[in-house]
Amino acid sequence: MACSSDDKRLIHKYLDEEVTLLEKKQLESHITKCPECEEQLQELRKTVAIIQSASHMKAPDDFTDNVMSRLPKQPRSTRWKVWMKKHPYLITAATFFLVFIVSLQSIWNEGNKEIVVKGDGQFIVDKERGVVVIPEGETISGDLVVRNGNIEVEGEVHGDITVINGEWYLASLGQVTGEINEINQMLEWLWYHAKEFFNDVVSIVDNNNGENNDKSE
Amino acid sequence: MNAGGYIEMDAVVKKIINEVKRGDQQAFAELVELYKDKVYQVAYRMLGNVHEAQDIAQEAFLRAYTNLESFDMNRKFSTWLFRIATNLAIDRIRKKKPDFHLEDQVAGTEDLTYYSQFASDEELPEDKVVKLEMQEWVQNEIMMLPPKYRSAIVLKYMEDLSLKEISNILNLPVATVKTRIHRGREALRKRLRDS
Ligand SMILES: [Zn+2]
Repeated sequence: MACSSDDKRLIHKYLDEEVTLLEKKQLESHITKCPECEEQLQELRKTVAIIQSASHMKAPDDFTDNVMSRLPKQPRSTRWKVWMKKHPYLITAATFFLVFIVSLQSIWNEGNKEIVVKGDGQFIVDKERGVVVIPEGETISGDLVVRNGNIEVEGEVHGDITVINGEWYLASLGQVTGEINEINQMLEWLWYHAKEFFNDVVSIVDNNNGENNDKSE
Repeated sequence: MNAGGYIEMDAVVKKIINEVKRGDQQAFAELVELYKDKVYQVAYRMLGNVHEAQDIAQEAFLRAYTNLESFDMNRKFSTWLFRIATNLAIDRIRKKKPDFHLEDQVAGTEDLTYYSQFASDEELPEDKVVKLEMQEWVQNEIMMLPPKYRSAIVLKYMEDLSLKEISNILNLPVATVKTRIHRGREALRKRLRDS
């Protein structure tokens, strides 16, 4: 049987899943009588199946890093604003810069890191272990910030505790009336540029109360 | 993927794009993670070479980043991204010398790198080898297609995209996309017959 170009066209339309019911019947009835078209259809279906069987590929492991390292460098001010938006709770820590208290050189860790403690009251700084201890029976009135060290609370803290680059431990008898915030993965540059930080923050310190719990990251 | 999945995915992608537009460069890494495999695959299937594929796929993301402001948020991000990637790949093919010795390339040194993407073991079980040979054969056949049919076939059968999406990616009428797929399919069938 001779094939019309219509039949050939229908084969592709059929493979595209765009035939009407009528066209489907028309094609089916044609291929029962036309081995050439039947063969073509079968071969095309196999071809498509083989192409589809190709495995999905994976980009190399370092792909994302490579792309990110090639992005144009951003001005630091932008970076900072974005970072600030993502970590609003840090503003809490910033307020403690307003009153500077104790800074101790520590041999703990790389030697160039300091344990910085800010708080009102009696506490012990255990340099060897890198731990700030609030001893049993002692009461700290106000907020406490520990940077680059851990804190162990055996006494009482009437206020919030913020631990930056460290961990906290609350003994069974210890008490903290406020919140305990742990801030790790601190960006080093933030501290190196503490002055800018301070200036930027002053204006927003007063209206940050509602945002302190927004630890989106 | 169901319709709900699309909506959800789109919402996530839009959120990330807005973050990047606001200056959060790091958020762009999430977009790269979402689409890197697909973009890499398109590039590889078009170019048949892992190094060029990586190069073009990375370039596509860089272009997307620098032109993000011009991306129309009412459109589908993946379509836009694929468009960038396909255009880059086609440009790269054009810049190459006319190369009808692709078989040498695919069957020669490229084998090892190509295999290494799928296989992690030194010793391959036999069925795995067969599978890899099959993979190589498919890629080889794809590479023998003229680029304009190649892109249509890759997007249709390897990325599993609709004709409408392919027409948006290639900036061609749906009817033209269909014709290219039909011709690509026919060309592949004839080669399959003769091999
Ligand atoms: Zn016929």
